Amino acid sequence: MKETPHEIKIHNNLKAGVISIDGFLGDDSRHYHEIIVEDRNELLKLNTTTEELADRMNYFTEISFEHYEGSVLIDDHYEVEYRSYRGKILCPFFHPGLFRKGEIFLYNKKNDIRICWTPLNIHMIREHCFLEGKGSKHRLEPKELYRSLFE
Amino acid sequence: MIVVIVNTVLIVSGISGLLALLLVIADMLFANYGECKININGKKELNLKGGSSLLTLLNESGIYLASACGGRGSCGFCKCKITQGGGPLLPTEKPFLNKTEINNQIRLSCQVKVKEDISIEIPEDIFNIRKFKARVTDIKDLTYDIKELTLQLIKPDSIDFKPGQYIQLEAPPYEKSKQPVSRAYSISNAPFEKDFIQLIIRLVPDGLCTTYVFEYLQVNDIVNVTGPFGDFYIRDTQADMLFIAGGSGKAPIKSMLEYLVKNKSRRKMVYMFGAQTKKDLYYTALLEKYEKELLDFTYVPVLSKPTQECEWEGKCGYIPPYFPEYIKDPKNTEAYLCGSPGMIAAVIKGLKENGVPEDKIYYDSFA
Repeated sequence: MKETPHEIKIHNNLKAGVISIDGFLGDDSRHYHEIIVEDRNELLKLNTTTEELADRMNYFTEISFEHYEGSVLIDDHYEVEYRSYRGKILCPFFHPGLFRKGEIFLYNKKNDIRICWTPLNIHMIREHCFLEGKGSKHRLEPKELYRSLFE
Repeated sequence: MIVVIVNTVLIVSGISGLLALLLVIADMLFANYGECKININGKKELNLKGGSSLLTLLNESGIYLASACGGRGSCGFCKCKITQGGGPLLPTEKPFLNKTEINNQIRLSCQVKVKEDISIEIPEDIFNIRKFKARVTDIKDLTYDIKELTLQLIKPDSIDFKPGQYIQLEAPPYEKSKQPVSRAYSISNAPFEKDFIQLIIRLVPDGLCTTYVFEYLQVNDIVNVTGPFGDFYIRDTQADMLFIAGGSGKAPIKSMLEYLVKNKSRRKMVYMFGAQTKKDLYYTALLEKYEKELLDFTYVPVLSKPTQECEWEGKCGYIPPYFPEYIKDPKNTEAYLCGSPGMIAAVIKGLKENGVPEDKIYYDSFA
């Protein structure tokens, strides 16, 4: 796939060792455009949107952020823990601003699904429909993400 | 149909990208802006070859504005006032500037290209910021995920800083990182020790700089640090002092306490440190020593998740519920906080609820 200079820079940012040690593509051989298109189709099948997912993730993130030293039970069956790390991280798609380093761990007690995301994941889902490549540390599978957040 | 649209988009994007690239190359090869003057605060003048960003030219002249993104226009830290020259405000700057800043001629120095004589205003403190070459003389494990790093300054061989300030440590490219990265860490030793600095560094999962420190950095290695930066330092009053920290947030507080011990401070001080379990505690013996050396100092570790193995008999839970026990004169209390953003937010809320004035709460949120 031919890339514009800007896309080449984005692609480079997504690789391991540029913005983070592990990068955002994992061992996925697809171009990031293909990852986005295929995940967008998955979301359509699930009848949800990136905004809806990001809003829900943000809801859990903000509540757990206030409970900085442990997990909190939200809406009866979502056990959520926010782990903060020092520093901030850039958006690999060159959006202005910095995003907090941290991980949000959610355990849905009803369907026994555990997922983990970062504040940057929320931004990349909302603005770019990018759920990271398969094998990436913070890859979010659309169906699993949807089920964990909404069931 | 879809194929045709996709192809058209790709062709148009490709042509636009190519033209943009040609413009950049032409600017690099053919544009000659000659010598430009940078006037700083009306006192100092630099004569430099124009064409580079203001941030780059200042750095090359030994004047270091804070920057977390290496001049990519993504962090918004390198703001300065441009009173003459600099060209129009760029779209890449606007997201980082509010209306007041724009009216006050504040710009992002990494985005402003110096093509003409330019006048800028920067805080005088910035002239104290220097780039140091230093040798690693000690790397000590404080806990399972926190290390203490000691750096002997080589060139320049001494530093002036206020307790609580931070430096930026540069990790060179290494096996897991393709480019040099700089990260901010608070200095943990006292400012009267001018020939070395100590840092307390906690491992950040997937972090480019902390992975370098934890897995690659060795004693005797040479590193670059830039600093000092920051306005988190002790206010010279006689108010009661409440220090609150978590994780590697002990670094600036340790520097402050060493300074207060050395100066035989008679101020009333309480230090509350939040951790999950006993294995997250460190410097306990040192802080107990300070309790003996300072006239009125109490160290209060608080564990949020003590296990049975901890055999913990101290305070448990979160820090804010203990405020009534330790804040005796809230209106006359200064709070110094260092820790995760979540902790800082919760502690500020608790302090305000307990009557500590907002303008006496100073903090260094992990950022």
